[in-house]
Amino acid sequence: MGKRGTKGRRNFLLKTGGALTAAAFGPYPLRGFAADPVNIGALYPSTGSMAQIGQGCVAAAKLAVEMVNNAGGIKSLGGAKLNLIISDVQSDTTVTRTETDRLISGNKLSAIHGCFASALTLIASEVAERAKVPLITGSSSDQLNKGRSYTFTPFARASQFAKAQLQMSKLVGDKPKVAVIFENTAFGTSTSNGLKELAPGEGIEIVMFEPYSAGFTDASPLINKVKASGANALFSVSYLNDLILIVRAVKQAGLNVAINGGSGGFVIPDFYKNAGKLAEGLLGVAHWNHDISPEAQKVNAEYKKRTGEFLFEYAGGLVAQTFMLADALERAGSADPQKVRDALSSLDVSKGYAAMAPGGKVKFGPDGKNIHAHPVGVQWQHGDLASVFPKEDARAPLMKT
Amino acid sequence: MAQAVVNGLLIGGVYALVSIGVTLIFGVVKIVNFAQGEFVMIGMYISFFLFTQFGMDPVVSLLVSMPVLFVIGVLVQHFLIRRVLGLNDLPQIFLTFALSLLILNLALMLFTANYRTVHTSYSDEVLHLGGLIVPVAKLIAFVVAMLLSGGLWVFLHTTDLGKAMRAASQNRDVAQLMGINPNRVFAVALGIALALAGAAGSLLMPFYPAYPLVGQVFVLMAFVAVVLGTLGNVIGALIASLLMGIAESLGIQFIGADSGLIVVFLLLLTTLAVRPSGLAGGRRR
Repeated sequence: MGKRGTKGRRNFLLKTGGALTAAAFGPYPLRGFAADPVNIGALYPSTGSMAQIGQGCVAAAKLAVEMVNNAGGIKSLGGAKLNLIISDVQSDTTVTRTETDRLISGNKLSAIHGCFASALTLIASEVAERAKVPLITGSSSDQLNKGRSYTFTPFARASQFAKAQLQMSKLVGDKPKVAVIFENTAFGTSTSNGLKELAPGEGIEIVMFEPYSAGFTDASPLINKVKASGANALFSVSYLNDLILIVRAVKQAGLNVAINGGSGGFVIPDFYKNAGKLAEGLLGVAHWNHDISPEAQKVNAEYKKRTGEFLFEYAGGLVAQTFMLADALERAGSADPQKVRDALSSLDVSKGYAAMAPGGKVKFGPDGKNIHAHPVGVQWQHGDLASVFPKEDARAPLMKT
Repeated sequence: MAQAVVNGLLIGGVYALVSIGVTLIFGVVKIVNFAQGEFVMIGMYISFFLFTQFGMDPVVSLLVSMPVLFVIGVLVQHFLIRRVLGLNDLPQIFLTFALSLLILNLALMLFTANYRTVHTSYSDEVLHLGGLIVPVAKLIAFVVAMLLSGGLWVFLHTTDLGKAMRAASQNRDVAQLMGINPNRVFAVALGIALALAGAAGSLLMPFYPAYPLVGQVFVLMAFVAVVLGTLGNVIGALIASLLMGIAESLGIQFIGADSGLIVVFLLLLTTLAVRPSGLAGGRRR
């Protein structure tokens, strides 16, 4: 190792460092067009703890933009193509703030969609609000509709999920006795308290209400307790690994309860990969499902071809969102974010890709909420998620377990 | 009640494999291995990949995970722990702690944070014994864990190497004077301890998902068991682990699902108050 070695190493560092910096210097345009493309920002966590879902979102976002462009782009803008600018928010709130800022200040954006996790979306929507760029999102936090006039939420709100879940327990019998078990931090307690508050109004008896510490080694003592409570329906507000142990323990205890695993990690392909046959017949709630309309099924088929997995709720919802943006751009006849925002606020669709939502209608109220939004009840059937609730959204009969 | 005891006993068997490893290392080499849980995690991933790639049953893959972990144990002792043995406690603590962080983050990088489960034919099977439900996968884990613990006890009490190990743990200097090579003894102790962790991982795999942080779940219980059963005492750790499994299960059943550990720690505190050096008292085996 003489001078030569050091020099070689320095060169190597310079080169790799340069390449890495360049790679890290997102957001970067995916495609360059000679005409004036319309820039759409996409904020998703494609690295970090939420990476898996984030990457699915990015794949769906690309697919959606391709679909719009292949259909002729935005006609009122002379066939302008959508140009997706993807930015990785790294599953981190601080990064989300800076990335959103950079995305907006570094590019002429017409609109943004993102960020999957409510905690991240809340921050991005705050930044977008200040910059007066419209943001459309499938995140479910009710906070997103408070004091925002540039944030649009076409799908069901968190507060609607609990109600749907309670109503679904009546699918198994007229007098459901529900056991609620939940992990004892913010996520579990807030969700389960929502269930507890709404239960009397829905005429549902909660026979067991039990917090547990996430990451337990064995679920059988807890399930033993559920068994003793005489419940015929079980709501589990849990993270994925606990839920797998719970489902397995229920089966082993020979307990006959309808399990409702809620939303989020429960309604993604990964859950089935882990739980396997145990997942069959389990119920959940989602803001979107791939069987709700013929259009959704078409997009699902294409997504499946590309990724090998079915189009999960968040990714599917954001394909619909891209078409809502295209509809707004079409009517605005301009790429100006303010005009796009105004066109979004008067959006009213009931057919086509933009109307892919439970209920099949999208029209935003003054708070940016879709006035027709409601969640759809789903069931794992043969490795796929089927919509089974409410009646008008059901696409498959309830599978008896 | 009886069901709760059975549940606790079965999971206690897995705690035992982890805690016996920790207590063996402490007894013989006099260091606390904070990375023990991470070796359980490695054992789980070995079994997971053998199952998904070659369809090898996780329990059979013990035959792979244990030797692999044994070799890792010998290497860790030879290249890392041996260097800090003469020093005071701090470098030793930092060494195993750093090892734990290193392995954990490597696993996050290589395997991602996703959960991995395997489905064996017996994963969901149960035996009904007089109204009690006994999951087959956990029963297998328990039986194998007990066999391995028994095997270790026989090894420590009947073989020359085992006796040398106990001698080195009682008094290193005198043992050396008697012609025992401590480095060799320590390497074997590390190897056995890690092999037990690997076994725990393989046995867990049919009923517990693997993920990089999984070791942390089990190592906390192991440390409590080691203290409860008197530091360095293999039989003490075994009994303490089983007791803790039962205490945790009863706690969940009769107090609350988030207070299972309260009972465990109450058990620890009462024991330490009455017998300050743990259940097995001052004796070391």
